[in-house]
Amino acid sequence: MDPVSWTWFLPEAFLLGAALLVFLLDVLGVEKLEAFGAVAVGATALSLLAVVADLGFTPLSFLSTLPPSVVDSGGGATSLYAFSSLGLVFQGVFLSSALLVSLASLSRPSHEKGAAVFYGLLLMATLGMMLVAVSADLIFLLLAIEVTGIATYLMVGYTRKDARGLEAAMKFYIIGALSTALSFFGASLLFGAFGSTNLLVLSQGLGGISNHSLALVGYAFLIVGLGFKVTLVPFHAWAVDVYDGAPTDVSAFLAGGTKKMGVFAFFLVFIGPLSILTVRAVNCTGTVCIAPYDFRPTVELTLGLLAIVTMTLGNVLALLQKEMKRMLAYSSISQAGYMMIGIAIGTAPALAGATLQILAHVFMKAGAFLVVAGVSALGVGPLIAQYRGLGQRRPYLGVAFALMLLSLAGIPLTVGFVSKFILFSAAVQASTVAGQSFFFWLAVAGLLNSALSVFYYARVLKVMYMESPDASVPLDGPAGDPTGGLGYGRSAAILLAVVAIVALGVYPQPVFSAIQAAATHFVASGA
Amino acid sequence: MVPVLSLLLLTLLAGTVVTFLAGRRARWVALATSVGFLFETLWLLDSYTSWPGRSGALGVPQYSDGESYAWISVPWLHINYTVGIDGISLILILLTAFLQLATVVYCWTESRRPSAWFGLVLLTCLGSFGVFIALDVLLFFLFWEATLIPMFFMIGFWGGPRRRYAALKFFVYTHVASIVMLVALLAVVFYAHAASFDFSDIYIATHSSGFPIVTQAMLFLALFFGFGVKFPIVPFHTWLPDAHVEAPTGGSVLLAGLLLKLGGYGLIRWAVEVLPQGLAHTSWIVYGVAFASIIWGTVLSLSQRDLKRMIAYSSINHMGIVLLAIAVYSSLGLLAAVLLMFAHGVVSGLLFMASGSVHHTFGTRDIVTLRGITPRTPVLATMIMVGSLASLGLPALISFPAEFTALLATWDRLGYWVLLPLVILVVTAGFYLWMMQRVLFGPPQNIPEKAHDVDVYETAGMAILVALIILYGVLPGFLVNVIVNSPVYGFP
Repeated sequence: MDPVSWTWFLPEAFLLGAALLVFLLDVLGVEKLEAFGAVAVGATALSLLAVVADLGFTPLSFLSTLPPSVVDSGGGATSLYAFSSLGLVFQGVFLSSALLVSLASLSRPSHEKGAAVFYGLLLMATLGMMLVAVSADLIFLLLAIEVTGIATYLMVGYTRKDARGLEAAMKFYIIGALSTALSFFGASLLFGAFGSTNLLVLSQGLGGISNHSLALVGYAFLIVGLGFKVTLVPFHAWAVDVYDGAPTDVSAFLAGGTKKMGVFAFFLVFIGPLSILTVRAVNCTGTVCIAPYDFRPTVELTLGLLAIVTMTLGNVLALLQKEMKRMLAYSSISQAGYMMIGIAIGTAPALAGATLQILAHVFMKAGAFLVVAGVSALGVGPLIAQYRGLGQRRPYLGVAFALMLLSLAGIPLTVGFVSKFILFSAAVQASTVAGQSFFFWLAVAGLLNSALSVFYYARVLKVMYMESPDASVPLDGPAGDPTGGLGYGRSAAILLAVVAIVALGVYPQPVFSAIQAAATHFVASGA
Repeated sequence: MVPVLSLLLLTLLAGTVVTFLAGRRARWVALATSVGFLFETLWLLDSYTSWPGRSGALGVPQYSDGESYAWISVPWLHINYTVGIDGISLILILLTAFLQLATVVYCWTESRRPSAWFGLVLLTCLGSFGVFIALDVLLFFLFWEATLIPMFFMIGFWGGPRRRYAALKFFVYTHVASIVMLVALLAVVFYAHAASFDFSDIYIATHSSGFPIVTQAMLFLALFFGFGVKFPIVPFHTWLPDAHVEAPTGGSVLLAGLLLKLGGYGLIRWAVEVLPQGLAHTSWIVYGVAFASIIWGTVLSLSQRDLKRMIAYSSINHMGIVLLAIAVYSSLGLLAAVLLMFAHGVVSGLLFMASGSVHHTFGTRDIVTLRGITPRTPVLATMIMVGSLASLGLPALISFPAEFTALLATWDRLGYWVLLPLVILVVTAGFYLWMMQRVLFGPPQNIPEKAHDVDVYETAGMAILVALIILYGVLPGFLVNVIVNSPVYGFP
């Protein structure tokens, strides 16, 4: 491994610098939202390009901050951080969601109170997520999650205007603190069992220890603690109130960005132990051989069942919702279930499928929340029924929203279809191994759920296109505004999301082969 | 070599996109696209003289005008853009081209959002065309689903009073079925260890000896369900009458004429050809479902007062005969199934157009109250008569050779069981004659004062289909020669 160079952390440093700059500008008396926004957009865009360059996209190689030898070389037994290509992919995911949200938020009222707080915290939260992606140690990982956590608690309540937002912030804070406590408790149990919190040590020690019940309890606490972050059922109840009560742009960031951080934390904590046990047979010390305690069936079954319950409950509750944001929040919970399928299976193809699903979710779910934010700024109420005639009155916005919903429903030629297709293919493929037929039913459960989800997305389409518009709502926006009241920033963000949904849906090969290679490295290096 | 199939696909794709954006001129773009597509199809038909044969020890079918490009390729997953045709696909592509043109012409005066309407018509045909040429699981599924969305909007926006319920029901039924179909196809690919998602690789994998019969039978049943809902088979047929009755006329034409055929085509290509052992071990189930569909479809059809509902239910009966012809698993049966699909596509298209015009002209489609429309609307009455006579299987019209072949194939395999569909056909014929006697020839009753005959566009749309009914009824050899020119035409 090369000697550590500070340039490796340039994308992270850039976000930190930008966040400090935003706070500084605020102190200096700058009040224009556009100024903070420009800093945030610039920093996230530049970091994103650097991360893409690090992933081996040659046309941008002059922006690369990591020597290729560092990537996927694996951390040592004492490292706090390690650069994996899958981590870089996730950094790309986090930065994309931050970029979309900061771009869209440029269209918020220019003199909105707390704009600096919003953008500064957005950058800090993104920084925390970036650090999660390079974690190689459980404590480092949990601290990085906390950086994001604290920033997002504040973001939910930053407008300080309505009681719902404050209630959401309070709820989010208490649940977040609880989940952190549970995670750290789990980490301390693992430290007790292994004498280390290094993730590589944890996964290599597993299976050899005699005191496996301690480790099992530790992992159980981590499933619960991280499960809160990913909104797994039954740890999901906070998410709907928070997504609903938060300013909608913040909801976009929570659903599109921070939730993915939890998923990657799951990758880091569980894929290593899951993949190593397939190669390790018997651990001998001296003359005493201990048959490895095989965690794999337990963990697979637990995560698989959690995935099924999460998908199903999320979808069923989404069906019952009358408000758009609550419906999207429940659909976000069910999407977390799809991602858990990938983790439960734990093969490289499944991880690749889950990662593509996560990337897709940024564009479709964050995009959908951004549209909702724009539409409610025009004066449309929170109910789904109040979206009636949107598709007829605003054809372009309607098509964009429709594409996002179709992608969430997994309809072909959208990225949501490709990612689910690959994920479920991976599940079927994994089930052909003897004794793994459980994964086939995981795929069936996932597919049936995606059929179920079509119901509530189609209902929105029905309202948008098949019911006549409500004449009292000024859907057209102010006269003479080419964006129809959406603003240039939001329009650009929505356009970006739609382009990504269609481009990745039609030709996913370049992105997907990179993800597949990264996932293969990730699984191999865990062993 | 000219990538003919991609060119055809591109024609439809470009036509569809331009139509959506063309505003008031949409109908002209749609017409130009349909005419262009029809001529390209005829050119394709002309250049298709023989099939390339089979290759390898397993007799892997080769396809004409094949193209293949890598689409998604990672070590464990190989998905290609692979297209190709044989005689079966070609006949159904021909059906697509004619129905598209007829629908565009018939709906010429559509005034509610014409650009969206004509765009959706073309999109439906694009999806169907794609299904008929796709030789890769993902590509096939993509086009399969692509026909769903335009039909959902056509029913839901342009449809009758209960359109929203019908659109949702249609969408959910067919979507759940496609999910089952997809799981089954994925399982075929991975459990048979196919080298890629391509048809030929899957064929090689499923025909090698290592693939257990039990797995084949289970997967075949799953595929049968997936394709069967589209047919539709009893007891999963309840979406069809709702969808048809609420759908606008153009939507009904495409639904009955094209979308039902996707089920038949899918069953032949992706279930029977891929898993012949699966069919062989479950054929009694398929026979049972086919007979149930034939009988129940007829019973329901006979008990309707609504002309359109009656035609919709008779589709279940006709598609049941298609299923029977596929299930007997012989070259004659296959020929019959494809002929029947073509015939039913054209005839039901005509009948749905005619019943749409009846509703439009008289404000009702009630067989019981509406009497003697011939004096007022002679052209419309003629169309109904041609359609009904073709539907009941009058010789020299298109359905006759198809139904005759189907019965012959059934006799070959099942002996006296053939009496069952035969009796049903006779009953249906009687019912059609009774309907014509009342609606067309009785003393005029309940005819509104302002009722006038169909306009020139509706006439032209129906005339195209009438011409096909007579042409291919007199000269079915045109179709037969193409169909038997298929690799799949090697059934026992």
